[in-house]
Amino acid sequence: MKKTVSNLLRNMSPTLFLSMTALIVIGALFIYSACSLREDASLQKLHLQHLMMGAVGLFVYFASASANYRSLFRWRWFFYAATLALLVLVLAIGSSRMGAKRWLFGIQPSELAKLAVIIVLARLYGRPGARRGIGTFLLTLLIAGVPAVLVLLQPDLGTALVIVPTIFAMLFAAKVAPRAVWGFAGTAVLAASVVLGLLLYADRPDVTPEKRAKIIRMTGLRPHQVRRLQVFLFPDRDLHGSGYNRWQSEIAVGSGGAWGKGFGKGEQYSLGYLPPSISTNDFIFSVLAEEAGFAGSLMVLLLFLGLLWSGTGVAFRCQDDTGRLYCVGVMALVFSHTFVNIAMTIGVMPITGLPLPFISYGRTFLLTLMVALGLVQSVSVYGQEPEERF
Amino acid sequence: MESSRQKLTDNWRLFALAVVFFVGILFLACRLYNVQVVRSANFSADLVRQSIRRVQMPGLRGRVFDRNGEILADNRASNCIVYYVEELRKRGKWTRTIDAVNESIDRMAEVLAIPRMVTREAVSNHVMQSLPMPLIAWRDVSQETLARWAVNAESFPGTDIYEQPERRYPRGTLANHVLGYVRRDRPQPLPGEKYHFYLPEMVGRAGIEAQFNSELTGTSGRQLIRVDARGYKNKTWNGDPSISGKDVYLSIDARIQEVLEHALAKENYVGAGVVIDPRNGDILAMASAPAYDPNRFVPFLSTGLWRSLNEDPGIPLLNRAIQGRYAPGSTFKTITSIAALQAGFSADTVYDCTGAFTLGTMRLRCWDGYGHGPIALRKAIEQSCNAYFCNMGYTVGYEAIRKAAEEAGLGRKTGITLPGESAGVLPSPEWKEKTLHQRWMPGDTCHASIGQGLLLTTPLQMAVVAGIFANGGKRMTPRLRIEAPVKWDPDLTDGKRPEGEETGWPKELVDIVRAGMRDVATSGSGRRAQVEGLEIAAKTGTAEFDVRGERRKNTWVIAFAPYDREASMALAVIVENGESGGLTAAPIAHDVFAAAFAGKTAVSEEGGLPE
Repeated sequence: MKKTVSNLLRNMSPTLFLSMTALIVIGALFIYSACSLREDASLQKLHLQHLMMGAVGLFVYFASASANYRSLFRWRWFFYAATLALLVLVLAIGSSRMGAKRWLFGIQPSELAKLAVIIVLARLYGRPGARRGIGTFLLTLLIAGVPAVLVLLQPDLGTALVIVPTIFAMLFAAKVAPRAVWGFAGTAVLAASVVLGLLLYADRPDVTPEKRAKIIRMTGLRPHQVRRLQVFLFPDRDLHGSGYNRWQSEIAVGSGGAWGKGFGKGEQYSLGYLPPSISTNDFIFSVLAEEAGFAGSLMVLLLFLGLLWSGTGVAFRCQDDTGRLYCVGVMALVFSHTFVNIAMTIGVMPITGLPLPFISYGRTFLLTLMVALGLVQSVSVYGQEPEERF
Repeated sequence: MESSRQKLTDNWRLFALAVVFFVGILFLACRLYNVQVVRSANFSADLVRQSIRRVQMPGLRGRVFDRNGEILADNRASNCIVYYVEELRKRGKWTRTIDAVNESIDRMAEVLAIPRMVTREAVSNHVMQSLPMPLIAWRDVSQETLARWAVNAESFPGTDIYEQPERRYPRGTLANHVLGYVRRDRPQPLPGEKYHFYLPEMVGRAGIEAQFNSELTGTSGRQLIRVDARGYKNKTWNGDPSISGKDVYLSIDARIQEVLEHALAKENYVGAGVVIDPRNGDILAMASAPAYDPNRFVPFLSTGLWRSLNEDPGIPLLNRAIQGRYAPGSTFKTITSIAALQAGFSADTVYDCTGAFTLGTMRLRCWDGYGHGPIALRKAIEQSCNAYFCNMGYTVGYEAIRKAAEEAGLGRKTGITLPGESAGVLPSPEWKEKTLHQRWMPGDTCHASIGQGLLLTTPLQMAVVAGIFANGGKRMTPRLRIEAPVKWDPDLTDGKRPEGEETGWPKELVDIVRAGMRDVATSGSGRRAQVEGLEIAAKTGTAEFDVRGERRKNTWVIAFAPYDREASMALAVIVENGESGGLTAAPIAHDVFAAAFAGKTAVSEEGGLPE
């Protein structure tokens, strides 16, 4: 059924919309702060590009919100197949930056893949009469595994890993094969502990260098990944190299104090301690925390909390499982990104190249998130009536 | 319709997720509160402009010793005045920072009363490529300058004293061609990183320093130091410790090396000499003249010095002992003799030297224009009769000579552990055809049998040849590196089985040539090599050649001692453009033997020349 514009606006979640918009604007402000000092003229206008993408995003946002997600989700397999094709293409002809092949004509297909997986899984569990047994769990592994492997090949461990808590949240909400899921989660935690344990053991002073190299090889990780984990485990080691960013980021956040140094007055990035190439995306929160202090950090956290709660509220009100599970997936994705990114800047998590939603500069990611949230609004608008036919 | 509805996802599950989100955000808020409010003072407060300095603790380069444990190369500490450019960072364009650094350097040069050393270009290169590392503004400054810096340090933020090891060759030019030299390499950033985090390390670029560079090189350790705005160091983090490089012991005996170098240098000769222990192949001395002082390459080699060394007509950077290629002249007659004897030529064959050897239209003069008259081999070696050896070589043919020369190790590298060794040239008819597009002529055989013509050898190869006659037929592989110091002793070796290859020359044939060489030293052209109380055997050589129409003579001596017992020393010396082997090169052999055997076999230092 068609909705009038007023009907549409009335049924959309205002908190969801406002917190998102506020975060995008805050992002543009601090991207400006971080990029305006760059020497390269083309990099001084990143904040405008961020805003422009936000504006384009708003159109797409309202377009997705006004469309009925139940009709849109019929195209899910097409969307999924298209992102898979793009992921294959990016490996074949994509362009590399900093050692990883992630871009195809300026877009990052791995961001699209996250959304595609969420939609496909939401419908898989939420279909009327859907079975939620062990078979569904195995199918989930296949559906998420294929794009995850393609993303890992780029290589982009962060993106591949962030999909794990997202899917876990969806499996949990849908109560799919609980024993298998918890068993799987337990195994994953165990595997992570084994890897960290091996690295900890390898570092004991009585282990010979040859043995150490052998133990580190047993983890099966790439050298830069091992280095990052080691930086996390032994933060005072290798402050020259990998540990340097983490340390400087912590100084930036800490020196911000309660009220910050003031907009545009941050020193850590403007004096080049935080590498400029990462201060606009992965480490944007350090810039923000330094200039806006704890007050600013807290405000950003509250905006994220508002967004997550209103998104979960949409799920509550929704009358069909597909819509509910879709909201759960999107919110879990936003949460995972936010948590990992901020925890990384204060040294609570190892450094992974994950952007902060809405605030980090990254056009594909921003647009994908806005489409995803637009669809959450669509759930808010159309999902309040029980599902008649899908 | 109602029937198609299924039970919805549990609300409590959604609520549980919302709680997880809330707890996660709360956790971050608590951590941020801790970092930004509780511990904020650690990060800013009175350390407003604190910064982290990256310090590299050098891994000392291994030392080089001679066989008596004397140091030939080690390290000394040098004090540098450095800038931590990050601490002078200005907002805005990098050029503003670069200007600030330049301004500070100029000001400091005035205060310290020393000239500025780094160019503006070097400063901007440093800012762009090695920003995190200290910029070395002055290297190797004096104690007085250090004191002045210490007094004024407060007004120069971001500066510090940095101790760097520099290579030192305590004996100056001694064995410089063997040791080589070091230079500082500019390290490249690791792939994917914009900056490199290491100061340039010393890298061996010639000789032993280059050959064993990987063993000599130490591994740098790392350290981070936190300093406040006044340069006060308030915290240190230790990273990896530094590891020193491995020490290297050489078979060189500095005492003998010094005598050999002095003998070459005192007359300003251009030439080279190699002293070898024929029992085990140890190189006891290896000299090339003119020499250069590798200390002058430290702390860095100026382009002016580099150019002058390269343009010097004496080519001091060339290690003539292994890279110089010379016709061996009459010293080669020892090998011609072996070749002929092996081919069945009798040592008693008498040839009547009339002062020249004639072959078709070719006439090759003997150095004695009146002729030596009828002589046999032993006498021919003593007299170094060209006509006799031309006849002998022509009789047995070139292939036999080539085979013997090959067995003596000519025409290929000896395998000494030094970079850049030359193989010399051992010609063959096919080789001549290929490179010179000329047929092998009977004249070529004649020239080859007296060590002239196309044949080229290095002094090291000829020292090995001298060693073969010294030990009775074994070609030793020259050994320059030994595991532990061990003194050279004419009466015993270190007992280890020497590495070497049998030439396959029958002992009685070698003995004939040895006897000839003994005659050379007692009554022939090698008399000036003699040392009283020591029985020496020698063969001299004077290879003539044209340099733009001018007659030049490369003068040789190969010798070994003692003759009457197991020989413990063999040598080859060449002096370019000398008088004759006997007059120019043989006295150098004398000096070396006299010094080496002094006090060892009842030889008095005053031994000197007979008569």
